[in-house]
Amino acid sequence: MVNWIFLIPIIVAVALLFLPRRWGTVAWFATFIAMFVSMVLAISVFFKFDPSVTGIQFEHKSIWVQALGINFHTGVDGINVGLLLMGAIVAFTASCLSWDIKTREKEFSILLLLMSGGILGAFASFDMFFFYFFHELALIPTFIMIGVWGQGENKNYATFQITIYLTIGALITLFGLILLYVKSNANTFDIVDLSNTLAKRQIESQGQSLIFPILMVGFGTLVSLFPFYSWAPPGYAAAPAPAAMMHAGVIKKFGLLGFLRICVPLLPQGAIEWSHILAVLCVGNMLYCGWVAMQQKNLNLLFGFSSVAHMGFAFLGIASLTVIGVTGAVVIMIAHGLLAALSFGLSGWYQKQTGTLEFDKMGGFLKRLPFMGTALLIAMFAGCGLPGFANFVGELLVFFGAWKDFSFYVVLGAWGALVIGAIYMLSAARKILHGELKPEFSRIRDAQTFWRKIPYSILIATLLFFGIFPVILTKRIEPSVKIILKAVEKPENQAQMKPLAPTKIKKTK
Amino acid sequence: MDEQLQILPFIIVFLPAISAVFQTLFTLKEGGLSAGIAIGAVGISFLCSAVLAFIIYSGGIPDYNYSITWLTAGDLKLEIGYQMDKLTLLMLLVVTFVSGLIHIYSIGYMHNDAAEGRYFAGLNFFTTAMLGIVLSNNFVMLFIFWELVGLSSYLLIGHWFERPAAANAAKKAFITNRLGDFGFILGIILVWGFIGSVRFDEISAKISRNPEIFGVYGTVAGLLIFCGAVGKSAQFPLHVWLPDAMEGPTPVSALIHAATMVAAGVFMLCRVFFIFSAKAAVPQSLAMLAVSPLSVIAWIGAITALISALIAIQQNDIKRILAYSTLSQLGYMVMAVGLSGPSPAMFHLITHAFFKALLFLCAGSVIVALHHNQDIWTMGGLKSKMPITFITFLIALLTICGIPPFSGFYSKDSIIALAQHKSTALFVISIIVAFLTALYMSRLLVVVFFGKNRSHHSAASKESSYVMTVPLIILAIMSIISGFIGIDATLNSIFGVAVKDGEKLNLFYPFSHSPLAAWLGLGFSIFGIVIAFLLYSSKDKDPITERLGIIATAMKNRFYFDEIYDGIIELTHDALSKTSAFIDRWIVSGFVIKGIHGTVEICGRALRLVQTGNVQTYVFILTAGAAVLIYYLIRH
Repeated sequence: MVNWIFLIPIIVAVALLFLPRRWGTVAWFATFIAMFVSMVLAISVFFKFDPSVTGIQFEHKSIWVQALGINFHTGVDGINVGLLLMGAIVAFTASCLSWDIKTREKEFSILLLLMSGGILGAFASFDMFFFYFFHELALIPTFIMIGVWGQGENKNYATFQITIYLTIGALITLFGLILLYVKSNANTFDIVDLSNTLAKRQIESQGQSLIFPILMVGFGTLVSLFPFYSWAPPGYAAAPAPAAMMHAGVIKKFGLLGFLRICVPLLPQGAIEWSHILAVLCVGNMLYCGWVAMQQKNLNLLFGFSSVAHMGFAFLGIASLTVIGVTGAVVIMIAHGLLAALSFGLSGWYQKQTGTLEFDKMGGFLKRLPFMGTALLIAMFAGCGLPGFANFVGELLVFFGAWKDFSFYVVLGAWGALVIGAIYMLSAARKILHGELKPEFSRIRDAQTFWRKIPYSILIATLLFFGIFPVILTKRIEPSVKIILKAVEKPENQAQMKPLAPTKIKKTK
Repeated sequence: MDEQLQILPFIIVFLPAISAVFQTLFTLKEGGLSAGIAIGAVGISFLCSAVLAFIIYSGGIPDYNYSITWLTAGDLKLEIGYQMDKLTLLMLLVVTFVSGLIHIYSIGYMHNDAAEGRYFAGLNFFTTAMLGIVLSNNFVMLFIFWELVGLSSYLLIGHWFERPAAANAAKKAFITNRLGDFGFILGIILVWGFIGSVRFDEISAKISRNPEIFGVYGTVAGLLIFCGAVGKSAQFPLHVWLPDAMEGPTPVSALIHAATMVAAGVFMLCRVFFIFSAKAAVPQSLAMLAVSPLSVIAWIGAITALISALIAIQQNDIKRILAYSTLSQLGYMVMAVGLSGPSPAMFHLITHAFFKALLFLCAGSVIVALHHNQDIWTMGGLKSKMPITFITFLIALLTICGIPPFSGFYSKDSIIALAQHKSTALFVISIIVAFLTALYMSRLLVVVFFGKNRSHHSAASKESSYVMTVPLIILAIMSIISGFIGIDATLNSIFGVAVKDGEKLNLFYPFSHSPLAAWLGLGFSIFGIVIAFLLYSSKDKDPITERLGIIATAMKNRFYFDEIYDGIIELTHDALSKTSAFIDRWIVSGFVIKGIHGTVEICGRALRLVQTGNVQTYVFILTAGAAVLIYYLIRH
């Protein structure tokens, strides 16, 4: 069942190759149906998933290349079940919005399907080879989509930059993975087999402290970890809305999943050693990129920088190496995926309606656009961590989880989330939505039909659903996080150095 | 425990929210229907609260706690739950009662507004957010609704978002509150770090067992929690948002100032008063550093009360005068908390809820009559034109000035008496503030209602409709009687249990037991009223502006707080932001990326020979790869 979630888009993509070029609408419709089926499957997998059972469910395993130990191993555990749901929902909404693409519809549909199928396949994979392969399958269409259907003066430069950055990031990751494969000496790419082997006999600590930073840089670049983020804002600003939604929302989460699937459980000592560096880099995301976002004058660039800033919270959660913090990081991955898709979907609509995303040229839209204006306001409030949205839950968990070891970074992160986030989001809302409507926009029209509203409504509803009932997510995520962190045992002597550690209280009692 | 009684509090808090969602989705364009639904929802909440209050106060059932799991992760367990006790119930009644009256009044005030549906949905949501704070039995749920109060205030202050001033005020209110919340959330996490729980009852039990449980962080924990109240209750130095919030519709101001939002800060301090009984465990040699958070709180309150009373004397906008009077009264309440007196603080909070709602609704009535003119120097002589508004305003005035037997006298006196026993300096300040309060409020009364008409609008004004005057009359009755219907005794019994120290209980003597405070407070208030009548009777402009010179200018300009803050922010936070943007633009993407670009460009030219640049080719290669993969899958 899980396999069909990502195989349906890929199969439809292949089938569309044989479609005549003129039938663009048919291609769009096929994409829409494929994504819809995929989403329905993902929803049913999410709710059929049994949180009380540990380990992989809906598992499928077949041997592919025995000599290298490559298996086609898919399934869901607590971590990727939510990500698959998020990815499928975002893919469906992106397919709805790809209706607005009116040039080379067939090719766009094929690329969008490959992108969605690829990244959902990567999420579902429990084998390093397929994990990596499916991600590449999703990544390459991104470059083509920005290059061909992109917008703005800097389109070519942005395409170039994002391609170079992400290709290098992916290559470093590949290098790290191969190094891990060699050093583990287990002759398998299967993550489950690898972790079973490494649980008995770890890679020697020198190897761990070498591979971890390689993967940290590789995966980090793919997730726009400071200081490897500068591809993201211009890239998203140039991308067509469905591509930006898919990449910022879904594909980017691959790197974070890589941390959770590979870096932390397979390289526990490396993780402990490097978690402090990771925490320092997070501050670059949370504070520095937030400050940069405050100075942006274009809605897409603002969303781009805010998306980079939000990744800092997920990284802080991972760096904390606590059950609370990592659970929070997974919640952020899901919440941010939905939010990024909503943000870029909205900015795509505004771009099409108003012809500009510059704050100076916009203003007073809420009066004329009750639905789209409110949706934008909702996206902005979710972006500054308002309770009620899933983003708040994730950030809250990260702050609680990281408090023990990284209390100072939590202070900085809370400043980034509560204050900087509110400043840039509300300033943008003030400039775009509030104030007087400019005369040139007096004829602008709100989204009228049900079909125009549905993608935004789905994303907002999901954000609210998980924000109001987070236990539905956390009860699935938490058991799997505990398994991941089993290998990570922190040295005892650290507790004494931290004055704020709750463990110390137990001693005084 | 009956299941109905477990569900009832959830109905009370979420019914207005459900109504708000319903209105947003279905009746946004139908103002009248929205108003009906909104009033119905708050009305039912009020009735449910009344039923619950009757059951609990009559001793039918004891206090109870009920929680459902919100999320769990590791050893963190967060719940949505409530603490049903007499304090909760008292606040539930006050909030739903005052909020309900404001809803009804809004029918009259907003009936011509284009976005009436959105307005009533916002009012409902605001009520839910406040009720959630009142019911919370743990810090995280409190914080959630705390933020939602911030959101509702943003939506309602910015109701007329086309006006730049309103849009700016909404943004300023939200961001200033966020500054306070920044400290608040850190305080919550700090407390959790030491206690391992966010529930009030568990935290309270652990602190009473071991007051030094926070180690050296005892003071810090208390002050961080207080940060939340500084933002929400608009205490110095975060008081700047509240006067700007006057840009919202007047009933919203009444709601913010009386029953919700600003009351939330003081209520929270009283609810978690146990946190301030924790002591900082510092070595003997550094004992001087172990400042109690309470003394800081008391002084912040006193400073707020004094500064805003001074500013109020030189304001000319009827709503801004009332806004500064709210700040000043909140200062009293916070000072009372700081003097270890949650009971007087809550007492004043409740009486203030009635009389401040009344003052704002009277002001709204005047504003409607004068076609949305708010400058008091264009009013005058409204006494005979608007008799009901005048009489109810007079009652509210006597209440806020502290003239017996109006309720404000009792609640304010309990705070002044507390100050007298605790700190001479604060006692003097509270007497001065009482004098200033009487002065600026009487100034407002004299200029607006007495004398002659100063504009054709005031000459042509007439009394508002019943839907607006009936709430005024009800609130006036509550302002008169709420001082002697046993609210103080109830509060004393609630906090008497919570406060361990026997001596503190003795502070809550009735009027006759602290004659000095009572007579001084009353004397200075009457003195203030007399001075105001002497100064302002039949004047056409403010006589003291010229006499005080530069001081008056400073007061008029709110002591330049906004300008000073703008300057500080410009030099610090904005500067950091601009520096970051500069680095990002010119160093990271300018120098580094462009450098790489140049290098790669050369390689790129070489590689261009291999590239076809044809999308179809790329797509074909990709899909061919995928096809091969699927073929392999099927075969194995």
